[in-house]
Amino acid sequence: MRKVVIIAFIILSQNSKAQELFVVTEPASNVPAGSLNVRLGQLLFKEKFEEGYNYHFMPELTWGMNKNLMLRATAFVSNRNTQLVIEGGSFYTKYRFFSTDDLNSHFRLAAFGRYSFNNADIHQETIEIMGHNTGFETGIVATKLIKKVAVSSSVSFEKALDNKPNYTFPSTQGNNATNYTLSIGKLMYPKKYTNYKQTNINLMVEFLGQTINENGKSYLDVIPAVQFIINSQSRIDFAYRQELYSSMLRSAPNGFYLNFEYTFFNVSK
Amino acid sequence: MKKIYNTYILLVSIVLLVSTTANAQISKVEIRATGLTCSMCSNAINKQFKKLAEVDSVATDLNTNTFVVYLKKDNKLSPNVFKESVEKAGFFVGSFEVTMPLEQLKSNSNYILIEANEAKSNNDVVVRIFDKGYVTEKEYKKLLKSYSKTATYALNNEADYHIKIIN
Repeated sequence: MRKVVIIAFIILSQNSKAQELFVVTEPASNVPAGSLNVRLGQLLFKEKFEEGYNYHFMPELTWGMNKNLMLRATAFVSNRNTQLVIEGGSFYTKYRFFSTDDLNSHFRLAAFGRYSFNNADIHQETIEIMGHNTGFETGIVATKLIKKVAVSSSVSFEKALDNKPNYTFPSTQGNNATNYTLSIGKLMYPKKYTNYKQTNINLMVEFLGQTINENGKSYLDVIPAVQFIINSQSRIDFAYRQELYSSMLRSAPNGFYLNFEYTFFNVSK
Repeated sequence: MKKIYNTYILLVSIVLLVSTTANAQISKVEIRATGLTCSMCSNAINKQFKKLAEVDSVATDLNTNTFVVYLKKDNKLSPNVFKESVEKAGFFVGSFEVTMPLEQLKSNSNYILIEANEAKSNNDVVVRIFDKGYVTEKEYKKLLKSYSKTATYALNNEADYHIKIIN
């Protein structure tokens, strides 16, 4: 695994055009003002303690309210308990509060917040409000583009609440955590643009870590990804998440992401 | 330098004397956007321009993120509309050139010549705007020093455009 990470780093650190439309994390940049972005997110994760995979379907709507503020709503559908059911949903907002751009570079800072609700059983120590826990998360993200290489990093605080109505958060587990992410992306194709119809191929690697504040239990995952941008308007992401290190109980840490995304420009003013 | 300054004072005075409220009719703008490298980002800017009813067509160089926007006749758009379009898409303007008839330029007091130079043509002229938000941040910081004698430059009045004739 370490080799994969090193190779990914070498590929991505080569001087070329970079991308920041990451698969799992969000950059400090927002979607264009007035645009509506539809994402059909799918996750297929391998169960660690039992046979088979669990499937999560996350349809998502993102609206650029203005150039600095973005709003998002997500629904969580999963078959973790035998059949596909809606388990919850989420609201997310991101505000870009700092931006400095130059011809071949930019640096941006944004603050974000998310509130999620979920009625599923609580089955792991990991706090994950994207499809597992009820709770909230708030943090800041910085994205830098230097000589066509984009790097994005975030730090956030995440707190889990009871998964109402049936599941209270176990008092034996730490209910809040610090999350940290590092994402790097690079455009592989085309080398030279000719028009908007060209399919863009991006390679990315993301690192996601969490530490439960109360007891210091942690994990670190790596997510290599390939992304296709079609017609400069839609997106297909394919990624694989692999646990690098963990000292906490996780029921299904490794698995695949497959996202479809389409942007409707100028839906509102 | 002093001579240029005097010429400038003279020009401003003339402009102020013949000041009218007429809109300068722009036929074309050429904008280089900053802070992006992806075609989807570029398309966001493209779509912002295209939604304007006064826009006839947009030509894009995706490698330099340069947009040439052709406008319909008798439009009353001013440069800040395009600047806002770029910013709405989430990016910024790095350079901004406007093509308009020389007559229109002369009759509009909002266009302030920051350096005295003459147009080569009597018909359409190309001017570059040097105000904050129309150049890169680095360039603006330098220009603030260079144009410290131009009283209106540091004011950042949205309706005023400090320009140089480049063609």
